Amino acid sequence: MARIELNVNGHRHAVEVDDPAMPLLWVLRDALDLTGTKYGCGMGQCGACTVHLEGQAVRSCSVPVSAAAGKRVTTIEGLSPDGRHPLQLAWQLLDVPQCGYCQAGQIMSAAALLARNPHPSDDEIVQAMSGNLCRCGTYPRIRAAIKHAAQNMEVSKA
Amino acid sequence: MNRREFVASACAAGALVVALRPAGAQVSLIKHASTQLPLGDFVRIAANGDVLYHFTKHEMGQGVATAMAQILCEELCADWSRVKIEFPLVDLPRYENERYGGYGTGGSCTLIYTYDMLRQAGAAVRQMLVNAAAELLDVPAAELFAENHFVVHKATSRRLSFGELAPLAAQLPIPDHVELKDERSFTLIGRPTSSKLTPQIVTGALKYGSDIKLPGMRYALIARCPVFKGKLKRYDARAALKIKGVHKIFTTQPIAGLQEVSFLPHDIREGVVVVADSFWAAFKAREALEIEWDEGEIGKLSSADFERLTAERARQRTDPTGFIGAENAVADLARVRKTLRASYVYPHQLHSCMETLNCTAHVREDECELWLGTQSAGLVVSEVARLLDLPEDRIKLHMLPSGGGFGRRAYTDMAVEAAFISREAGNIPVKMMWTREDDQRCNLAHLFQHMEYQAGLDAENRLYALHEKEIRTYTWGEQYANPSLPRMAYDIANLRYDFEDLGSYELLQSSAWRGVDVHGRALSECFIDEIAAEVGRDPLEFRLSLLTPGREIFIGGEHTLSSDRMRALLELTAQKAGYRASLPQGRGMGIALIPYASSYCCAVADVTVTDGRLTINKITAAVDCGRIINPSGAEQQIVGGIIWGLTALFYGGAPVVNGRIQHSNFHENRLLRMHECPPIEAILVDSPEPRPLGLGEMACPLAVPAVLNAIFAATGKRIRRIPLPADLRNA
Repeated sequence: MARIELNVNGHRHAVEVDDPAMPLLWVLRDALDLTGTKYGCGMGQCGACTVHLEGQAVRSCSVPVSAAAGKRVTTIEGLSPDGRHPLQLAWQLLDVPQCGYCQAGQIMSAAALLARNPHPSDDEIVQAMSGNLCRCGTYPRIRAAIKHAAQNMEVSKA
Repeated sequence: MNRREFVASACAAGALVVALRPAGAQVSLIKHASTQLPLGDFVRIAANGDVLYHFTKHEMGQGVATAMAQILCEELCADWSRVKIEFPLVDLPRYENERYGGYGTGGSCTLIYTYDMLRQAGAAVRQMLVNAAAELLDVPAAELFAENHFVVHKATSRRLSFGELAPLAAQLPIPDHVELKDERSFTLIGRPTSSKLTPQIVTGALKYGSDIKLPGMRYALIARCPVFKGKLKRYDARAALKIKGVHKIFTTQPIAGLQEVSFLPHDIREGVVVVADSFWAAFKAREALEIEWDEGEIGKLSSADFERLTAERARQRTDPTGFIGAENAVADLARVRKTLRASYVYPHQLHSCMETLNCTAHVREDECELWLGTQSAGLVVSEVARLLDLPEDRIKLHMLPSGGGFGRRAYTDMAVEAAFISREAGNIPVKMMWTREDDQRCNLAHLFQHMEYQAGLDAENRLYALHEKEIRTYTWGEQYANPSLPRMAYDIANLRYDFEDLGSYELLQSSAWRGVDVHGRALSECFIDEIAAEVGRDPLEFRLSLLTPGREIFIGGEHTLSSDRMRALLELTAQKAGYRASLPQGRGMGIALIPYASSYCCAVADVTVTDGRLTINKITAAVDCGRIINPSGAEQQIVGGIIWGLTALFYGGAPVVNGRIQHSNFHENRLLRMHECPPIEAILVDSPEPRPLGLGEMACPLAVPAVLNAIFAATGKRIRRIPLPADLRNA
């Protein structure tokens, strides 16, 4: 049994795990009840489990919980205090999701992109988002919503 | 509407609560005397004015939760921002009503079945609010009208809010007769509307089946036989039991085998289940299991063996399922100058729902509670009741949205597995999950279709006869196909359809998939192109020549097919796509035009092929599917449907070698990604039909034939099976 200190969405948690290699995904979902982060493939292929680790988008299914110890983890639940991150608003305005299951991962990938590149070109958006699968086929609206959010962030800063 | 369909009741805590109750073939509205509101009630207007709509179908991304609420609230005249959607506990006695499909969700049928019922219900509740206002304002009800969450008195402009009216309305009888709105005055039906679930989706708050957590709940994973119809020979759990957190390990043999479920027979594979304190402990313990399988005959077979069999059968003589004109017209040497023949293959496909299959079950002494996203609530309840030998009313099913259904969640296996495990593990709550590897290696798959086409051209190069023979692996329990003619509206003097079921020979269990059997049969659009090329005519002009103006033909299903609507759709799509038959070398446009149930769909693909590499410049897809409830959701279904078809085109298939599916996860069974997604334009046709006709599956079968035809236009190369090779020169 290992005790691991986590900082998730600004809150400190101490979790006891039998196996420090247990992926962060399952600690978030099953121990901390943060079920917005989804399981999709378990091998970093689909992006449904994307969270931020020290601000970087990572696939939480492929990050051992021990590697997240003491680092800042942000999940979809902590992306904004009130659910009004420009991406979350754009997703609603453009009616992006269908089944919605992959969308937390999509939004977390997009948020990491905009945080490091507030004015991404179309190619940069496609490049950053091509690790996230969507079986319903929402890609065109995801692309449009990221552009919309990027423009809005510009306006709100100005 | 029959006056007895609506039944009156009393109020509950100041709220107007109206439920549905089946009365024979009809659905009634009732109100509840109890303040204990049974979940499953249909619509509730709280004293603060909030409207709560209890959604009674399965939401899996097709958008019906929002669309159904739009229909109800259109007639109710509710303020859309005050409307909330909730997922009910399944209450089969109340909702199991075949006429409206009960809870069953599939076949693109939800809005077709529920449109009238939702309008009637909304109008009835609106009338109750109007009647309440008539009492409070002491004016005749005829002088009042409802608008945007208020009832307004025309002459004096006095108005009362729905919230103010709800307590009194709840005391009034449900009206004998309701008047529906004039369709021309619709403001909510037809308005592009963002899904009501999106605010919860973007914050991670929406609970899917796999997000359920119960006190004392354990996690279960099953190691299933990797070969269809294989058996468990022996297993050794000693190493697995040493993994910390493992609770119990046992076999699932008692529930395995073919499930003879009415209409939806399917297979549950033999396996060994690990029950543990966490997903991760179950996962590691499962890896530590030592299992020996008896792979049986299928363990010696591969896809190539099966495809050889289907190709042989395709060439054997059969009796037609149906025909028009002369049965053997293709072989009529007195009339036919030349015959064409072509074989097309649409192989098995996986569903690849982003949320893998799962079910949480808690079996107790005399009842069972389930948490599940399912398209077949009624079947789940009856199958679990059968397994546990309990009356159906002891099965409580919490219906949750799912991360994709696509036909896969129409089957009941995950519920049977979870309930069995909960019971065998000692009547504890268990969340049974499938990993992605389980999903890819041990799953049901879309049926296999081999399409064998023949055409006979007469001395004037006219299409005299067309013969379609389909070899497939799934028949929904029936040894026939519907329609019993080629699924086309073309005016051809001699048409014939032969059908053969090879389900008993297949290497995977076939099942329903988004678009069902239309995928294979839509490949007739490629053969039509082959005929056009043979007679030297432009594919657009050739199709129009086969669609005689004013002609209606019945090929099966519920409606006749209208040549005029097919023509209009074809011309519109071609015009929007800027269709041209003559383009520079390496670029081409391809058409696919198909009737789907009572709807019509058309796509034009614009492609460029350079050194064997395919680039899709654009796909333009149009659907004539009757009245559109939510144009935003409808566009999503068309665009998503095209992308669905493109995944099958580029990456689909479930290749089997020695009984085992070769794909294990998304690195092998690839899905289309954003960088591969071409521009797609969706066109919603202003349909002459006043009611919705279904949409969720319509666009899916268009992409493959449209792109294959475009590749031919660009290169002169005819490709007759999918998936495409990376280099088309190798096709």
